[in-house]
Amino acid sequence: MQMHNSAGYEHSRFKQLVAEAWILFRIQLSNIREQWALIFILASLFPFTTLMFLKFFTVNPTDEIMIRIITGNMLFALIIMGLNAMAQDIAWQKHQGHFTYYASLPIAKVNFVIANLIRGALMSFPSFFILMFIGQWIYDIKFHYSFALLPVMLLSIMSVVGFGVLLGFWSPNMQLTNMLVQALMMIVGFMTPVMVEMSQLPAVLQAFSYLLPTTYAAEALRELLTVGWTSSVATNTLILFVFTVVSYLLILKKIHWRMES
Amino acid sequence: MKRVFEIKNVTKTYKKGKVTANENISFSIMQGEILGLLGPNGAGKSTLIKQIVAHVQPSEGKILYNGTDVSTQSRLVSREVAYYAQEPASLTSLKVNEALYFTARLRGMKKSAAKEQTNQLLEKLGLQESGNKQLKRLSGGQKRLAGIGTTLIGAAAVLIFDEPTNELDPKKRRLVWDLIQERNREGATIILVTHNILEAEQVVDRVAVINHGKLLAIDSVSTLKNRVDQRLKADITLATPQPPAMEALQSWGQLVPLTEHRCRLLIEKDRAAELLTFLNEAQAEGIHSYAISPPSLEDVYFHIDKDPEEAEEEEKLYANA
Repeated sequence: MQMHNSAGYEHSRFKQLVAEAWILFRIQLSNIREQWALIFILASLFPFTTLMFLKFFTVNPTDEIMIRIITGNMLFALIIMGLNAMAQDIAWQKHQGHFTYYASLPIAKVNFVIANLIRGALMSFPSFFILMFIGQWIYDIKFHYSFALLPVMLLSIMSVVGFGVLLGFWSPNMQLTNMLVQALMMIVGFMTPVMVEMSQLPAVLQAFSYLLPTTYAAEALRELLTVGWTSSVATNTLILFVFTVVSYLLILKKIHWRMES
Repeated sequence: MKRVFEIKNVTKTYKKGKVTANENISFSIMQGEILGLLGPNGAGKSTLIKQIVAHVQPSEGKILYNGTDVSTQSRLVSREVAYYAQEPASLTSLKVNEALYFTARLRGMKKSAAKEQTNQLLEKLGLQESGNKQLKRLSGGQKRLAGIGTTLIGAAAVLIFDEPTNELDPKKRRLVWDLIQERNREGATIILVTHNILEAEQVVDRVAVINHGKLLAIDSVSTLKNRVDQRLKADITLATPQPPAMEALQSWGQLVPLTEHRCRLLIEKDRAAELLTFLNEAQAEGIHSYAISPPSLEDVYFHIDKDPEEAEEEEKLYANA
């Protein structure tokens, strides 16, 4: 073995960044290689039960209500991964001492987050599609399919991931983090226009909703699946992109795993 | 010798200054040396190490790595300094060969070099047969060896090990020390955090003793040994309690009973040869066995770590003896 700067090292920063992201993703996958089926089922359970509950609860719902219920629950599957699971996973890794290992390596923090995010996306996308197909079937609705669904899905997850990561890194203990993300899920799910019409909410919640990316994600998803790509979908996608950039900046500037003060 | 790390008046406090983890610590770590950080549990060793590897920001003072402040260059430190932090928690789901290979790749090694080193290390660590097992399925000792492997892999200029030989059997401990010394011979600077003084003595060039967050002493092992009682220790096992030779032993120096069948004799260095002859002759008169040893690093540690009043008492006793 030789000392640093020897020939066995990658010299291209770009190649190293790609290799780093790939290896971190493989480490994340290895963490779930024995429980992936269970995680997938549990991630689908909450939106699925909500979907079923609303089917039993609503009598003769209008098409508008049915579409809101289905797309709202599809979005739930994404938010669960981007916000809930991301915060809990990162908090768990923090409290298990995983950061000591990662912080000791010359890796970019954003690559660690991307690796977690891709793992989360892989686990949530099947739920998203299953809910879409089940929802159409039980409510007898026809959706409009488009390739634009993919960027909208990705931006929906990525726009909330910064908050998930922030909560995970901040986590003083697992219990508090779990309670906080559950409460946030309830607020985002039931007190913003994810499953209900904006006009049905009180003024204060309407104002609050404009600050959340999920409002725009729900709007974009609903219109994309019912009408297709429109200027309104484009505007909402652009807003989600801005939230994603803000998420990225939050991660970059506010989260430190080296130099804990 | 070049200074790799310069620790300058480093203090770390928590809870608005109510809890002090370490206080005004200053020393340098030289290139190519093996430095041992000794101290009891909770002494502040691990906090200091976390400050050195730029995981924890000092409240006061600064740490320079090759002249650069680590607080502004934490990425540089992580590139050139490999740190083993007791338990490889983040790797437990990985197979042993994955843990080594992935770590090598994350340290920036190319695929082929990473694979080659992974195979070399698996062989050196005696983990070839466990290569495809997940770390969580290994014994505590094997898991620790794999964790140490992740620190050894790559070509870091400085390697830091926090209690590397905990949970290891004597054979594996020897293996770890050999591998650490091998990396040191190749040019790496080594920092060892341990409370296993007897083992550290065999390996380190210099020792820093830390307790209550303060640096109590730092010097070479031989220089530190000069600070303690220079008498030799003869640890004697008696065949029977109070054998005939016991009375004669008392005339050789200070005799300290340890148990019914064991005692310790402290004698001046120049009388060692004479004592050996006596003990050999006296064996038939009730001395079962004996071992003579010079002051050890453990003696130094206990001497330095004593509270000042106790140390003064001991020095008086030594002066009068």
